[in-house]
Amino acid sequence: AGTKSADQDVGRVLCLMNMITPEELMDTEEADEILEDVKEECSKYGGILDVKMPRPSGGSRQSNGIGKIYIKYEAPESAQKALAALAGRKFADRTVVVTFFGEEYFDVSAW
Amino acid sequence: PDGTKKRRKKNRWGDVSENKAAGLMNLPTAITAPMTAEQLDAYVTHLRVEEISQKLRINDVVPADGDRSPSPAPQYDNFGRRVNTREYRYRKKLEDERHKLIEKAMKIIPSYHPPSDYRRPTKTQE
Repeated sequence: AGTKSADQDVGRVLCLMNMITPEELMDTEEADEILEDVKEECSKYGGILDVKMPRPSGGSRQSNGIGKIYIKYEAPESAQKALAALAGRKFADRTVVVTFFGEEYFDVSAW
Repeated sequence: PDGTKKRRKKNRWGDVSENKAAGLMNLPTAITAPMTAEQLDAYVTHLRVEEISQKLRINDVVPADGDRSPSPAPQYDNFGRRVNTREYRYRKKLEDERHKLIEKAMKIIPSYHPPSDYRRPTKTQE
């Protein structure tokens, strides 16, 4: 890692929201399918380094990050392309909301 | 080894053009302004409430084929009419979700106003 200053607005990590409910994530099989669907679609916009989808564990269903999916692209251009293309799309009958997310937070899973 | 496996739902993605409610609610979905986690949470809660409200208004409540869950056994009223129709069940589900989200929004968003067509559910049934 270097000291590359990342403009919060245009990084290479995206946060996808309003796509899944904690209930859907409780079902491991369904959660796996969701992840598969998301990876498949997101890879159309460029190479992906990592995807994180926080899942409920133990008793806590409502912790930060649950219900969101984070995608780290190889290149910021891909993230930008994906943001423009995915926002407003339908995912399981919900409207996808997308924003950039700080890479340094993504790397340490600080939601 | 496929026989016992649960049927996989079809891909969950849909096009912008099929997303009727999104077009009507007229809220940004590509967020480029820096927002805190709390602000995003509040915004997405509000957006989902608006989305559900539009769905209820335009009667776009039954999901596309692949997203549907198996139907429960039919229930009938005293006149032999089916009560738990597909449309009724999905409408109820959305109304319940909206109710929960509105309660949450009232806690986290100062001066939050629920949509005008929202009625708090009454405790008693029928």
